[in-house]
Amino acid sequence: MNTCWNRRDFLKKTSAAAIAAMSAGAPLSGMLSSCSSREEMPSTADSVILLYMAGGMAHTETFDPKKYTPFRKGMESNEVLSTFKSIPTVLDGINFSEGLEKIGQVMDRGTLIRSYVAADLGHILHTRHQYHWHTCYEPPQSVNVPHIGSWIAKEKGPVNPVIPPFINIGQRFTVGEGEELKAFHSAGFLGSEYGPFLIPDPTSGLDSVRPPVGMSNSRFEARNQLYEKLVQESAMGEFGSDFQKESLKRSMEQAYILLNSPEAKAFDLSQEPKEKYDQYNTGKFGLGCLMAKRLVDQGARFISVTSEYEPFVGWDTHENGHTRLKDMKKLIDAPIAQLIKDLDESGRLDRTMIIVASEFSRDMLTEGRPGAKVKDQVEVPDNIEDMKNYGMHRHFTDGCSILMFGGGIKRGHVYGKTADERPCKSIEKPIKIDSIHQTIYHALGIHPETNYEIEKRPFYTTPDGHGKAELELLV
Amino acid sequence: MIRLRLAFASLAIFSLMALFSPDLFAENLQADEDSGPFWLWKFMGRLHPLAVHFPVGLLIFAALLEILTLKNFQGKLRPGITLLVLAGVAGALVSVVLGLMLANIEDYGGSTLDVHQWAGIVTAGLGLLVIYFLYQVVMNQHMGKIKAFRISLFITAFGVSIAGHFGASLTHGEDFLTSTIPWTESEYPPADINIDLTAFEGEDGSMGEEQQIKLVSQVRAVFAHNCYKCHSEVKTKGELRLDTKEFAFEGGESGPVIVPGRPGKSEIVRRINLPKDHKESMPSKGKVLSSEEIALISFWIEKGASWPDGAEDVSVYRVAELAPRKPNTPASEAGLNQPIDLWVNDYFEENEISWKESVDDRTYLKRLYLDIIGLIPSPEELREFQNDTRMDKRAIWAKKLLDQNDDYATHWLTFWNDALRNDYTGTGYITKGRFAITDWLYTSLRDNKPYDQFVKELLNPTEKSKGFIEGIRWRGDVNASQVTEMQAAQNVGQVILGLNLKCASCHDSFISDWKLEEAYAFANIFADTTLEVSRCEKPLGKKAGTKILWEELGEIDSTANRSEKLEQLSEYLVQPANGRMYRTIVNRVWNQMMGRGIVEPVDEMDNLPWSQDLLDWLASDFAENEYDLKNLIYNIAISKAYQQPSVGVENPQELMEDNFVFEGAVKRRLTAEQFSDAVSQVIYPLFDKEAVKYDPYELAVSEEKEMEFARASLVANNEFLKALGRPNREVVSTSRDSQASLLQALELTNGTTLNEALAQGAARWKEKYQDGDIIIHETFRSLLGREPYQNEFNVAMEALGENPEPEKIQDFFWAVLLLPEFQLIY
Repeated sequence: MNTCWNRRDFLKKTSAAAIAAMSAGAPLSGMLSSCSSREEMPSTADSVILLYMAGGMAHTETFDPKKYTPFRKGMESNEVLSTFKSIPTVLDGINFSEGLEKIGQVMDRGTLIRSYVAADLGHILHTRHQYHWHTCYEPPQSVNVPHIGSWIAKEKGPVNPVIPPFINIGQRFTVGEGEELKAFHSAGFLGSEYGPFLIPDPTSGLDSVRPPVGMSNSRFEARNQLYEKLVQESAMGEFGSDFQKESLKRSMEQAYILLNSPEAKAFDLSQEPKEKYDQYNTGKFGLGCLMAKRLVDQGARFISVTSEYEPFVGWDTHENGHTRLKDMKKLIDAPIAQLIKDLDESGRLDRTMIIVASEFSRDMLTEGRPGAKVKDQVEVPDNIEDMKNYGMHRHFTDGCSILMFGGGIKRGHVYGKTADERPCKSIEKPIKIDSIHQTIYHALGIHPETNYEIEKRPFYTTPDGHGKAELELLV
Repeated sequence: MIRLRLAFASLAIFSLMALFSPDLFAENLQADEDSGPFWLWKFMGRLHPLAVHFPVGLLIFAALLEILTLKNFQGKLRPGITLLVLAGVAGALVSVVLGLMLANIEDYGGSTLDVHQWAGIVTAGLGLLVIYFLYQVVMNQHMGKIKAFRISLFITAFGVSIAGHFGASLTHGEDFLTSTIPWTESEYPPADINIDLTAFEGEDGSMGEEQQIKLVSQVRAVFAHNCYKCHSEVKTKGELRLDTKEFAFEGGESGPVIVPGRPGKSEIVRRINLPKDHKESMPSKGKVLSSEEIALISFWIEKGASWPDGAEDVSVYRVAELAPRKPNTPASEAGLNQPIDLWVNDYFEENEISWKESVDDRTYLKRLYLDIIGLIPSPEELREFQNDTRMDKRAIWAKKLLDQNDDYATHWLTFWNDALRNDYTGTGYITKGRFAITDWLYTSLRDNKPYDQFVKELLNPTEKSKGFIEGIRWRGDVNASQVTEMQAAQNVGQVILGLNLKCASCHDSFISDWKLEEAYAFANIFADTTLEVSRCEKPLGKKAGTKILWEELGEIDSTANRSEKLEQLSEYLVQPANGRMYRTIVNRVWNQMMGRGIVEPVDEMDNLPWSQDLLDWLASDFAENEYDLKNLIYNIAISKAYQQPSVGVENPQELMEDNFVFEGAVKRRLTAEQFSDAVSQVIYPLFDKEAVKYDPYELAVSEEKEMEFARASLVANNEFLKALGRPNREVVSTSRDSQASLLQALELTNGTTLNEALAQGAARWKEKYQDGDIIIHETFRSLLGREPYQNEFNVAMEALGENPEPEKIQDFFWAVLLLPEFQLIY
């Protein structure tokens, strides 16, 4: 498969059916009036993989370690800065927290941002901050706002029309706050065509792209043939064409192409050599990374792999922070590093951007941010008697780490800084979500003023179109 | 003689320089593009308009004098002419150089520039030729060249006028000259213009103040709809604002954009005239202005760009009447006895549309069932209807369906749940910020509560109906425009009044006249205290009063407590005098049944209806009939307009256009609920009874004993319904989209919900019917309401065989369910 598909090449190369399928209109989007700029933008990335650390990943315990304060019975909570030792990375003078050795070794291929500042939304609520991270708009909004993946799907289309342009791997919606999660896993006003194609569990990813369970391929084929013949013979032909009918026919055709395509094998992890599979297999998240790699190889546009948000699970450490983070690091270290290496070796890293991020950070004491402290949600004793109280249990918004690799991102670069003493907040180059989003859009060649008129008001990719790409992050 | 020789020589050197300099400059200017050109080049470039007057004057004068010396070449005038020619050609060369600089720096463009530029260069070249001949004659005494000299001089003089003319067109506008000539056909107004510009002028071409206000209002309307997005309070690109007089004349970062009396000098006119792909073209986003709009702005500037002080009180937006209006029904026509049809007939005549034959019984009954009770008619019901010989059977059946109170309520529940954000599955539950009103809503629909009463109970609620105005109470901080009081103001505005207050709840609207303070005053009605006004999230430290949006409807006592204020609001809003509210609801119902409102979008009731008379009549008739929703639905259902063959559009955008022409109902797609119910009804229940979230039967509010299957509208939202278009109801949603998408198709193609129901159904049908032949006929009859055509039967039979396996039956069901004929209400 061609490594650098773009829409125009595509139109030249593919069959009429595929083109029709690709341009199959979307609900609402047909009625959207685009006000997007006419300027063509150069791009440095074709695909984006977002590796999402759901639940709040403490920067001081991961990519921005501070002084190691080992556990002592009765130690003051205020003493605790990092509960892990620091380890060196491949970059001079840049240390990570113990347990992230592998990612440390690939940091020469990307940029470490140490100064992300999350929004003030009052009372901390993970899903609201996640909504904000993924849509760039603070909830609630008076219209349904699209996920960044939907914007990208809408503006750039699929890379390979057979692969849905926005794929979301690893999040189930049956867990706590499922409805809150759904609120931003949505194409919003762009129309459901651009919504996420959901793979809640990468080990059963194939189920989403193959004929219904229990239906053989030949039966699936026969069913589709019967449908097509009936459409042909149908009396509806005489009623002329209309968008509902055409879009139905196109969507059905597109679904059939996807479910029947060789590319769908990308969703089947059992096709991966055992050795590679094991390198990634640290659990659901690691396999999600592997699927992301396979999908990018086949031409996916935007993939989100999440460590999965579930209240008080994963990165959401309200207690036992230190102990649990050991496991979390085991979960992410190998597959993230392997993904970077594999994409770099295949050359795809040049046009694929990878982002590792979380809705906010955590701290031992500060809830919210210094000066804008909000209601504490976690009891933290003044003195730590029990290991379970040793860790970052409060939600901290004033300094978080983000990793970015590939697709035009600088190699071996560090951006921003946090203080070494509590509250360890951003003290250099604080960067906010609209800049992060706009930097991603910039790399993809999506104009900063891209917007649609919703209820007569222009809605931009970033609020009021004010997001500025941080060019320092880019080559 | 020596001095003359010197003059020739220096001219020769200069012209050589001139030949090379354009490239030089171009390079220089290119390299400097980012930082902007060197000031001196810019300064010199701008000398071009000054310099050009020399060659024009000198060369033309030289040519005139040459005519005087035609008889005697060596006359007294000769030395003068020679000097004129030398100076004129030198001037031409200088002008060419400066002109090229100007063109490079100032970003002129277009064909006029090209013509001007080349005319100038050719003229300067001809000038050199003139000098060559003159040199031959004067210096070398080649008298034979006199003729050549004269001819080339005359051509040059002509050329310089041509170049000058196009140059003037660039600066002053193309019609600078011609527009002054009374017999040339004026560019303004162009042939296709709708706005009669001459109407603004008095007989002597002057304008009275009233006309000035009218004119500037139209101009401001163009600004508002096309420019405010980037050039007003909220967003001020290039430091230019066009929303108030002061700012508009102040101009932007590059100076004034409006030069009164000089459209050709006005930057705004230049920019709106540029081709769409030009980088300086305005509007830079969205559609370019129409020729009428451009003509209007140019005309306004030409007439002095007057903007009298009272002008800003005139709305630049279309504002619908608030009061009700009952137009006199047109005289009856043969075959038409329904007022709706008489109005549509009027409209048809105006638009030269002829009535088509009403749809057949099968098509009508399917529409009627789906629109009133949300189900498809069974083969038995269809047969009974087809065999019914009564003349008014369609009206009788419409009535009969409307009397199926529970089915009616169950179907319309979906529409109202979307609109009122009820049966909500989104965020915000965490702190019990949300109150369901399903029970109240269901019973209100089942009992056909008069709409005025319905609205009163929503606005001044009981415990059971308070969810709508209580809104969603989020945990944490929210935007000032998302506090519950403002949510109530926005949602009452949108749903009940067809009014968009979302803009105005953050800043003065740039899509309507509503101001921030008015939105707050309205929101204060829903507040326990008085809200502090915030503009774009910045508190202004002041408070608005407590007012209903239209003071003529009544005065809210701002000292009253919340429930008193709500009571006043509910009384004031439902008054018959609030024609807007009733137009809004009749338009919504029309949209539900016809696929496109009389006004569109249905939440923007200030937009132009395709028939004001019909809209007004429906609303006043609705009021006269005690706000009876079922009666409204009945009237529409039995109208001939409803029974016209359906119309399809190829692009959904067409439905939103102002110039939409009504010819009959627009094709719609089955909603998630209608599709699910049809599957449940005919094949196998899609949802088991456990999935039901609200069970009116269990609560004994139902007249019937038991539900046959779980109706989709009563089921909690799930992935299947969501994929098929049921919104999560986090925001108000008043129309569903009927376009299909890939994710929908995937859900239908390999999702488990549908496939499992079909598998169950197939097993059941196999047991019941066994034969392929019968199954094919039954499937067509019950899903499509007709027998299969022979070719369809053959295709199906080929797939199924005489004695089909259940799997085959399941796949056959699937194929028929996904046929456009089944999926669409046509």
